[in-house]
Amino acid sequence: MNAIPTCREVEPDLVAVAAGEAGAAATQGVERHVAICRSCRDELGRYRVLEGMVSDLRRAPMPGADPTLARAELESRLADIRSRMITYGIYSSPLGRILIARSELGVSMVRYVDSDAAARAHLKRLAGDEAVEDEAAVEPVYRELLDYLSARETRLSWSLDLRWAGSDFQRRVLAVTAQLPYGAVASYGGIAKRIGAPGSVRAVAQALRHNPLPIVIPCHRVIGSTGALTGYAGTRIGLKKRLLSLEGVPVGTHASRIDRNSMYVWISPDKEYCVPSCGSLPEMPLAQLTLFGSREHAEAVGLSPCSSCRPDLHPLPA
Amino acid sequence: MVRDMTGDAFEAIVAAHHAEIHRYLVRATSRPGDADDLSQETFVRAYKAYRALPPDANVRAWLFAIATNLSRNHYRAEGRRRQAMAAMAGGFTEQSASWPEGEAIANQASVRVDRLVATLPFKQRAAFTMRKVHELDYDAIGQSLECSAESARAHVFQALRKIRQGLDDLDVVHTER
Repeated sequence: MNAIPTCREVEPDLVAVAAGEAGAAATQGVERHVAICRSCRDELGRYRVLEGMVSDLRRAPMPGADPTLARAELESRLADIRSRMITYGIYSSPLGRILIARSELGVSMVRYVDSDAAARAHLKRLAGDEAVEDEAAVEPVYRELLDYLSARETRLSWSLDLRWAGSDFQRRVLAVTAQLPYGAVASYGGIAKRIGAPGSVRAVAQALRHNPLPIVIPCHRVIGSTGALTGYAGTRIGLKKRLLSLEGVPVGTHASRIDRNSMYVWISPDKEYCVPSCGSLPEMPLAQLTLFGSREHAEAVGLSPCSSCRPDLHPLPA
Repeated sequence: MVRDMTGDAFEAIVAAHHAEIHRYLVRATSRPGDADDLSQETFVRAYKAYRALPPDANVRAWLFAIATNLSRNHYRAEGRRRQAMAAMAGGFTEQSASWPEGEAIANQASVRVDRLVATLPFKQRAAFTMRKVHELDYDAIGQSLECSAESARAHVFQALRKIRQGLDDLDVVHTER
């Protein structure tokens, strides 16, 4: 038989018993103690009263504690954070390592990566702490990109977030470039003409050089006025060639140049496409033309064969 | 498994817990205005860290831990301010709180308890509030206060003891019927 606990020893258990948290042994000790100790019996009574008051705290509304305003402010802060937040992943692809970043608005960056660490540092500089690496979260976008790069898909219908397009001019260039159809090419001069600034060829090239969304915004479909595959993502002309041949655009195996005589021709906004020798086409500057590598891709955007040169009856040699 | 980072998933967490965390912070900081700021800060931090939270984590206990951490830092700064003010004013007196004298003022009893809670040292105040008002278990309280469950229990005990002493004028036999 244990000795009856002293007043000092029993106090924590008194509190526990009053709160209904005491185990069997503690309860028994308290019962035996208060049976012989009047002051601790009173003490237990006080703690029980206190427990009753405390349970009122749970039920009673707190004066001056209305969370409504704080909640509303919180919602707007969270919305703001969400809109700034970037998630990204770095993946392997047929074109090498690629970084893909997205926000709640859409895909905001596609970037060819030489070193993962340098790519992370680059994104950190742009987005700060709001950039979070999360491969799984961006994985669906990556899967679609893989389908595209293996020609299982010819469209990337992503919503885009152009936060890293530097200027209004660049946005206009990117918007026009985004409309170049799959399997088609146009020249820098052609893009300059389409944005209504025909003299700005160099600025157009510069804007495309800093395209934050290569592949998706197909700057690989923009070529020099002589048909040359000039710069792409720095010095990655090889990638430009691969992307174009994926789309059925004939690119020479040795020369990095597109031969306009081996391409079908469309002059926007006509409804028809031609062989390159049709009418006065051979004399027209490349800036006025859009070239298609195949009839299939020209017809995929709704164009019909020209009724005079009949590319359907006299197709170009494959 | 990846956490659903769409707005909706976190939105549901805010809807389920913001009011309670706010109420906790009113007691933990003893100032509704501070609770407004700190409850926002709690959820902003939670939102940023939510992605890394294991799927089986107890979200409610985790939010209390964030809120407790923020209010502890806040309380330290506040404590220094109060000390400086008290020194300037030549000391300050706490509002007195005594046991209620009958059932007519039963409602005020909780007000008196709250006044006494406000005079407790931070850890006791936070532990008491988490246990007695929000009914968290001692493990969760220990995690919030970065101590063991046993220490958490001891903080609650000390808090109850001080509150009881603060209300010591009560005639228990008279009140307990």
